[in-house]
Amino acid sequence: MRTDLVFGMAGSGGDGIVSAGESLIAAAAAEGYHAIMTKSFGSQIRGGESSCRVRVATTEVLNPGGILDVAVALNWDDFMKFGAELTVGGSTLVLYDARTGVRPDALPLVGVRPRQVLAVPIADLSREHAGSERAKNSVILGLIAGFSGVAREGLLDGLRRKLAKKGDEVLRSAERAFAAGEAWAASHPLTEPMPLAKPAGGTAPRPLADGNEICAAAALFAGCRFFGGYPITPSTEIMQFLSREIWKYDGAVLQAEDEIAGIGAAVGASFAGVKAMTATSGPGMSLKSELTGLATIAELPLVIVNVQRGGPSTGMPTKPEQADLYQAAFSAHGDAVRPVLAPTSVTDTFWTTVQAFNVAERYQTPVILLSDQEIAQRKETLDVIDTGAIAIEERRRPAEAELQDYARFALTASGISPISHPGMRGGNYLASGIEHNERGAPTASGAVHARMNDKRAHKLDPLKRRRDLFRVFGDESAPLALLGWGSCAGMCREALAHARDLGLRAKLLVPYLLYPVAEEVYEDFFASVRAGLVVEQSHQGQLYRMLRMFLDLPRGVRSLARSGANPFMPFEVAEQLQRAAEALQRDGEDAREPQE
Amino acid sequence: MTTALHPAGQTMEPREFKSDLKPIWCPGCGDFGVLQALYRALSGVGRPPHEIAFVSGIGCSSRIPGYTTAYGFNSLHGRALPIAQGIKIANPELLVLVAGGDGDGFSIGGGHLPHAVRRNLDLTYVVMDNQIYGLTKGQLSPTSHRGLQTVTSGYGSLEEPVNPLLYTLAYGAGFVAQGTPADMPGLTSVIEEAIRFPGFAFVNVQSPCVTFGEAEWQLKAHKEHMKPLAGLGHDPADRLKAMALAAQYGEELYTGVFYRNPKPAPTYDALVAQRQAELRDRALPRERILELFRKDGGR
Repeated sequence: MRTDLVFGMAGSGGDGIVSAGESLIAAAAAEGYHAIMTKSFGSQIRGGESSCRVRVATTEVLNPGGILDVAVALNWDDFMKFGAELTVGGSTLVLYDARTGVRPDALPLVGVRPRQVLAVPIADLSREHAGSERAKNSVILGLIAGFSGVAREGLLDGLRRKLAKKGDEVLRSAERAFAAGEAWAASHPLTEPMPLAKPAGGTAPRPLADGNEICAAAALFAGCRFFGGYPITPSTEIMQFLSREIWKYDGAVLQAEDEIAGIGAAVGASFAGVKAMTATSGPGMSLKSELTGLATIAELPLVIVNVQRGGPSTGMPTKPEQADLYQAAFSAHGDAVRPVLAPTSVTDTFWTTVQAFNVAERYQTPVILLSDQEIAQRKETLDVIDTGAIAIEERRRPAEAELQDYARFALTASGISPISHPGMRGGNYLASGIEHNERGAPTASGAVHARMNDKRAHKLDPLKRRRDLFRVFGDESAPLALLGWGSCAGMCREALAHARDLGLRAKLLVPYLLYPVAEEVYEDFFASVRAGLVVEQSHQGQLYRMLRMFLDLPRGVRSLARSGANPFMPFEVAEQLQRAAEALQRDGEDAREPQE
Repeated sequence: MTTALHPAGQTMEPREFKSDLKPIWCPGCGDFGVLQALYRALSGVGRPPHEIAFVSGIGCSSRIPGYTTAYGFNSLHGRALPIAQGIKIANPELLVLVAGGDGDGFSIGGGHLPHAVRRNLDLTYVVMDNQIYGLTKGQLSPTSHRGLQTVTSGYGSLEEPVNPLLYTLAYGAGFVAQGTPADMPGLTSVIEEAIRFPGFAFVNVQSPCVTFGEAEWQLKAHKEHMKPLAGLGHDPADRLKAMALAAQYGEELYTGVFYRNPKPAPTYDALVAQRQAELRDRALPRERILELFRKDGGR
């Protein structure tokens, strides 16, 4: 029995490939499997090529997976456009529409010999059993159910629910197409069957969500009552979700006239005393950077979500990349230090978003939540999230006594000054982007400016000691290390398991806090490390270089970085780590497990 | 909502709105007059300073919130309106004032104005229009007239100015007025009326720059040339007539109310409150928020 299967499919718009993937993951989730689905499109508004990959497993899944176990191509032109995302290897079963006329031994896959290749009359089966080619995706689901046994009942249930509104005939046609796919699979046994085992954790249904929805839900949980934003791929679903839900919580969404007005209104709402958020992607962050600086100097809590996509400029709007880290940390002018947090999965986007609000409110600062297209738009079965265990923080309001002779920007030991808001008698003050003294009066004094910069930077110091914003996996005294953040973190966890299989003593650090750089946490982690890789999807290796600004890394730690939309595969990261280990051995050190 | 916002009968003295900060403006600046008129208008409205949020952008005139005892926000160049709207949506009980200069409102922040108008929050926006950039020492402004010679237009401006009155009327503002510190009672009155108007209210104040403005167009000239609309028999309910008069911006100095919508449209803030009231009962307790994802194992 298999415990983990990765399906990848591609076709043209209208083939219903993404819809088939959605049915598959919904069915898997309904039967208690763990699953992740990513979608990928050409940039056309409608039509054009589309693809998805669905990973279904009996235990926790950490990333969308590497080489496909099952590849489905409705036509090869479309499939090949997703070469980097739909990797076919020697272990892959390839199913493709016989109508493409391509011979099984002449697939356009260069240098790959798939385990088995089957030309399936997908379009013909659809036409024959459903009367048109519109049920090709139901044939595919039938094939998948037939070959792997995955979620057969769930798939049929899903078809019924989905098509209930479209009338009996459409539903019957889809069911016949599904059955035809299943029957075709039954009459073409695989050389190596791939039945999927039952979920290890029982068959209770698992909730399913994408990262943007979870981010929005977490914002509501944290008490967010205002969202100002402007539509931009791939972050828009956050605004869409909140525009349905936030009113129920006495909040409001403002779809602003531009990115600047979106964050401007959020800054205003925060000044008025409510928790506020804006969300965007790289181009929007560029536009928002002046107001981000304003929130820093006016010491106003604010959560700014950047769902990263490929850049610079318009870049690749529908593809993931991790190249906005420098921007997040450094884009506002002046000495503006602001926290940057990054989630690593759909599930932990919930916790990380709540932390972003907590940090913003406690330290009276804008916080940037760096998500990315993969986490934000992939669907994932959620782990259990114990909301009762997540504390929610509120900004420190002035007590009655502190409102006597109130100084909004009072220099306190912690650097945090109680913050009033309009409506609070005695708390009246001037908020400003101009440098100000403790009472908020504008100043051009160098001495006051230095003290205020000091206050704004050092109030964040305790954040660097929050070990819960970092996770370490593996053997703490290992000489080999991986460091992965954001959507690379899950992949690195899997790479760590591969490394263990290769006999390597390795560990992994996943930072949720990227900035300010927590020097001590990294120094502790790297103390045992002789060699390692900082793994990220950016051309420059931005985290690696940023860490080197603030601390000395062991000489054997280097950057493993490449541009977005070229996802890393866990086994290749493990192999790179093995090479690093071999280099160590040449230097006379051993990074292998002690032999029993 | 409107009655709660603008209760009559409380008495506040103008001096209760004056802060300890000393204005940085040049002696004789029109903005001093605007500030005095504002103190008086706020005294007339009667809301205590802590219930007022006063937002501005950047420029000489944008210093004005700091000279009042209200909660002030001296924000970024051109961004006062978005910030003010966020404040008003977050707490509709507040009286929200916005102020700034012509460059702030019509140039760098010009893209926000039509949207602030059409959204129609209950805000009052006072622009101190001096046809010049004073803080940066005398460059062209969006309301500078064609041919004006400045340090950035030594051979004369090549552009037509914007027309703030006509633009805001065309955008659909429910209240549009103009004033000048040359007529303090008139200016005080239009600002107070604007604050009392339930919806987006715009007041353009001709507030001359004594240092970089045209020598022949100072308060003395305003006194001689201004034409109070009330004296012309203008009916402020007549929007088309208001637009015809507004079209003469730059040629005639009309003061008073150009347009006051006799049937003010519902404000955005009131509609937000209404929507919240309609949907409030459907809220899941927030610790159960993840149940939104549990419907059928898939959405």
